[in-house]
Amino acid sequence: MKEIIKIAWKNVWRNKKRSVTVVVAVILGISAGIFACGVMQGWVEQRIDAVIYIENGRIKLYNPDFLNNEEINNVIPNKEAVEHFLNKETVIKAFSERVKLMAMATTSRGSTSLMLQGINIDDEKKVSKLYTCLLQGTYFEEETSRPVLISDKTAEQLRIKNYVLTTEILDSLENTASIPNTVIASLRSIENIRFESENKMKKEISSLLDRKDVSKYGFDVLKMSEQYRLRSKIVFTFTDKQGELVNQIYKVCGVYKTANIMYDQSNAFVLKSDLSTIAGLNEGEIHETGIILRENANEENVQSAIKKAFPELSVLTWKELSPDASLVSEYMSIYLFIFVGIILFALAFGIINTMLMAILERTKELGMLMAIGMNRKRVFSMIMLETVFLTMAGAVAGMLAGWLLIQVTGMTGLNFSSFVDGFEAMGWAAIVYPTIDLFFFFGITVLVIVTGVLSSIIPARKALSLNPVEAIRMNN
Amino acid sequence: MNVIEVENLVKAYTDLALEVVAVDHVNLTVKKGEFTAIVGPSGSGKTTLLNMIGGLDKPTSGTIRVNNKDITQLNSKELINFRLHNIGFIFQSYNLIPVLTAKENVSFIMEMQGENRKTVDERVSEILTAVGLGDRMNSRPNQLSGGQQQRVAVARAMASRPQFIIADEPTANLDSKTTEKLLDLMEELNEKENITFLFSTHDQRVVNKARRIVVLEDGKVVEDNENIKQ
Repeated sequence: MKEIIKIAWKNVWRNKKRSVTVVVAVILGISAGIFACGVMQGWVEQRIDAVIYIENGRIKLYNPDFLNNEEINNVIPNKEAVEHFLNKETVIKAFSERVKLMAMATTSRGSTSLMLQGINIDDEKKVSKLYTCLLQGTYFEEETSRPVLISDKTAEQLRIKNYVLTTEILDSLENTASIPNTVIASLRSIENIRFESENKMKKEISSLLDRKDVSKYGFDVLKMSEQYRLRSKIVFTFTDKQGELVNQIYKVCGVYKTANIMYDQSNAFVLKSDLSTIAGLNEGEIHETGIILRENANEENVQSAIKKAFPELSVLTWKELSPDASLVSEYMSIYLFIFVGIILFALAFGIINTMLMAILERTKELGMLMAIGMNRKRVFSMIMLETVFLTMAGAVAGMLAGWLLIQVTGMTGLNFSSFVDGFEAMGWAAIVYPTIDLFFFFGITVLVIVTGVLSSIIPARKALSLNPVEAIRMNN
Repeated sequence: MNVIEVENLVKAYTDLALEVVAVDHVNLTVKKGEFTAIVGPSGSGKTTLLNMIGGLDKPTSGTIRVNNKDITQLNSKELINFRLHNIGFIFQSYNLIPVLTAKENVSFIMEMQGENRKTVDERVSEILTAVGLGDRMNSRPNQLSGGQQQRVAVARAMASRPQFIIADEPTANLDSKTTEKLLDLMEELNEKENITFLFSTHDQRVVNKARRIVVLEDGKVVEDNENIKQ
């Protein structure tokens, strides 16, 4: 076998130009495929991370009626016992109790409906990473009466967001966004002028800069000019426990932005103590409990345990609360393998073609080898090894290139901000950090070897079909 | 001692519905150590006869016994194994493996036979030195002249000390001087190693060197001159 391996390896490099072309094609195909898979996996992991650590937690508890009708009276029954149970369970890392009311938010300039969530800051911070998504302001850290945390989207809808290029922003543009001085000089004419909408600001920037500069720097300038009127007053209107409409004024303490516009535009946060009091809820009355589990804890097992202890509750995992993310997560490996499979399938044709050419060119030599006593097994092994070597030479380099690309972009992130609205409307981040796991790499290695072996079957069969007497007579 | 015994050998083809008899009831016996040339005009059946004796082609009828073993009864797998261990081949156009060195081309067949490394190295060095290429062992075929390549092919055929060597027009691509040298070499190796040689040739220079000449015409043996040189 050793001699077959040696000759197969040397045969790969017999026609260097052709082999290098195939190897480069394999490198490009595999590296692009792996990188694309890395981007997809990064996106999915970021989405799941957001679903668990911002939107849902791993498990949520409800009064079953609240899921059908988000009515103020549908509070979690037997809350003290539930609390006691959750505190006792070692696999539960933290939980946060929330009061949730559908409310109408109104300012002098706009209005929108949303879910007003009353939270306990310390508990919520253990369960949700929303406090890391702040654009401006604080996460209830300012001493303000009735603070509210709203999203960027809600700020837009309530016209709390506006656009202004302050002197400080203009001075910093050169360093922070690498914008040339000539462009900054042109923008000075709108220094400290406040625009109420993005469109008005865009229009003004377009009139000051030429088209090339607008497409190159417009997006950055617009983002830098975003300002929120912190401490603006918002009137929230909702129905209290007695069924009466209640109006309450809150002051904006901060603005957040997640990768999910749908979530952003339907959620605002206030202190639980404020909301409960105004809504007429008693001390222990809550609508939802978000739960985070310890590493490696099985959420289905915990779900079953809670269900068993409290059959009157709806106990839902993040997979049930966000079936879209769950579906993508569950079938992600299959998607990725199908994707890589398609690439390898296409590459296999190139490899088969190259090997058939190689066999055609070496008909006489193969005839001689069979004549002097190389058996079918050895001929097959030689052609198979040549094909596998040719495939693997490109695949190893391609996998390495793909992995390096993922490592680099995994640190820097890939910015798809130009398509931000489209992505975020579906809950997917505009800046993605590609990642890939070892299992997938191992899977690809197996797939590449399988592709090499399968691609070798047709050329090897072609070689085996040669008649040594006729092959030796050929003039090639 | 007879190495090859051919009895009533027939090879017929059907070409455009016409039956062509390439080898017609040939009887031939080759003794150990013979240096035999099979001559005849083009289409006389020389190569077909050698292919059948070499186990590359199946006869229509008749028997071929090599060391008393009827090779016409062997299946294709057994024939490949038989060729590997019993026959050396020298082809008209050398047919060396271009990616291997002279040494590797020669050792390759012994490695397939399962010989150990030490035996292979010793024999390859010995045979390449014997064919005058002791200093070109690490050269690739494209770094050797035609004559040198054919000498590597001779070394490859002889390396495993086969029962006999079949050489189909071995000098057809060589000039006179190189042919002369190669024939001297093969004659010397034949005498020294007592290996049986069976040539097919048009080349008068090869005929002149042969100790036995079998003349074929229309697939039939029409002349068999033994012990020409003695």
